[in-house]
Amino acid sequence: MSIKVNNLIKSFDGRKVLDGISFEVADGETLAVVGFSGSGKSTVLKLICGLIEKDSGDIITSEGDVAMVFQYSALFDSLNVADNISFALRERRDLRNKYTEAELKDIVSKKLELVGLKGIERKFPSELSGGMQKRVSFARAIVTEPKTILYDEPTAGLDPISSTLIEDYIVRLQQETNAASIVVTHQMSTIQRTANKLIMLYDGKIVFAGTPQEMLRQDNEYTKQFVTASLEGPMHMLTE
Amino acid sequence: MITFRQYWRQSATYKIFRVFFRQFIDFVTTFGAIVVNGAATLKYIVSLQIKPKELMDQCVRFGISSLPITLSIVGMTSIIVTSQVASEMVKQGGGNFVGLLMSLLIVREVGAVMSGFAIISMIGSSLASEIATMRVTEQIDAISVLKVDPIRYLFVPRVLSGLIMMPVIVVIASAFGVITGGVTTAMTTELGYRAYFDSVWLGIYMKDLGVCLLKAFCFGGTIAIISCSCGYQASGGAKGVGLATTKAVVWSFVGIVIWDLIFSIAFFF
Repeated sequence: MSIKVNNLIKSFDGRKVLDGISFEVADGETLAVVGFSGSGKSTVLKLICGLIEKDSGDIITSEGDVAMVFQYSALFDSLNVADNISFALRERRDLRNKYTEAELKDIVSKKLELVGLKGIERKFPSELSGGMQKRVSFARAIVTEPKTILYDEPTAGLDPISSTLIEDYIVRLQQETNAASIVVTHQMSTIQRTANKLIMLYDGKIVFAGTPQEMLRQDNEYTKQFVTASLEGPMHMLTE
Repeated sequence: MITFRQYWRQSATYKIFRVFFRQFIDFVTTFGAIVVNGAATLKYIVSLQIKPKELMDQCVRFGISSLPITLSIVGMTSIIVTSQVASEMVKQGGGNFVGLLMSLLIVREVGAVMSGFAIISMIGSSLASEIATMRVTEQIDAISVLKVDPIRYLFVPRVLSGLIMMPVIVVIASAFGVITGGVTTAMTTELGYRAYFDSVWLGIYMKDLGVCLLKAFCFGGTIAIISCSCGYQASGGAKGVGLATTKAVVWSFVGIVIWDLIFSIAFFF
């Protein structure tokens, strides 16, 4: 089992954002996490990759790196594309003297090719479109051959065609790396095209767990409201 | 029926108390972050975990790009002081000591402090806003997820460049200030260059030069650590970047004034 989360609890300012959630993701599987804005989806990712500390519960991941693709790419704007992708290989204590310049160049070129971008090594993030930045951030994430890949709203702010392209690359990276992946998203197309299974969060709890196909059956009040984008239903915007 | 608790929470006293309490918490948090981040940075510097290229880039940024504004501020301060003091001293028969007074003033105080103020406004604010922007755009989170310590990557070259370049800047700015004072004296009094520059070295001892360099070293490190820490603690969006930059500037000003006070008490009291 590549990611196992058990009874995870996290509070901010006294409010329980995650209230004892549990799920598992196997190698080669992609789990979609859906829910309202502010329902704790991104918090799940930040807890798994260690950016924030959990209050209680267990997070077990396979040995190996955990990579994360951020919502707005988070590319280093003072570095060019090649330096962004090779950043971990140049700066990480255990990797920094492992590769020669020629090898780094070769790795960058291969990773860029994998995400359909060639010949942009010298460009800076500000010279790229949103979709291209996202693909560069994919290349940066997989440069250390991670066993776990986390995507935080990978298609946010992109046009429908760019979104489809990004979804295709998520599937392709999944096949290439056989990593366990978690995709946080609001997009039904992203869920349908990339995920093997799905959980829905509301008020800190998992209110639905199943496959994307089961979600569409609409026999759950929560998923029914989400799929139909209805204001009527058990879920209300969390204001506090 | 309103309870005492509700009454107290609605009172002006409670609101004022709450503002002060929040500011106190913010002060403690900021001070703690500066100490912790400063200690971690110094640990990396002592263990020589430094990348020469990044250090060189930051030295150019800290030293070369800030030099014109630093020289302008120290030079103008020297002109202002000399133009007011030199003619009066000549009138009172102390013309031969104008150079001595100016060199003492600049080497002991004006050179380092005015350079510090110039560096805070130009480099400190830039460091804080750069790192704060990286924080709010999740670039620092990305560094952490890639298992690189942001303190080593961001703080070490910036703080080390401050420690190295600030003494260099202060020496150049002080020399420029003394020369500017000589030119001003020659232009505003009948005293010649020779009389001014003959007295420049009369009151300057090795101790003054040593204290000046040590003070500059402390100023440089303090400005860089405070600016980087304030940027690193930023949260929110554009407002968070603005608040972090303001905080960095205010804390750096206070920091170098405290250092100045410590040096004055320790060496000249």
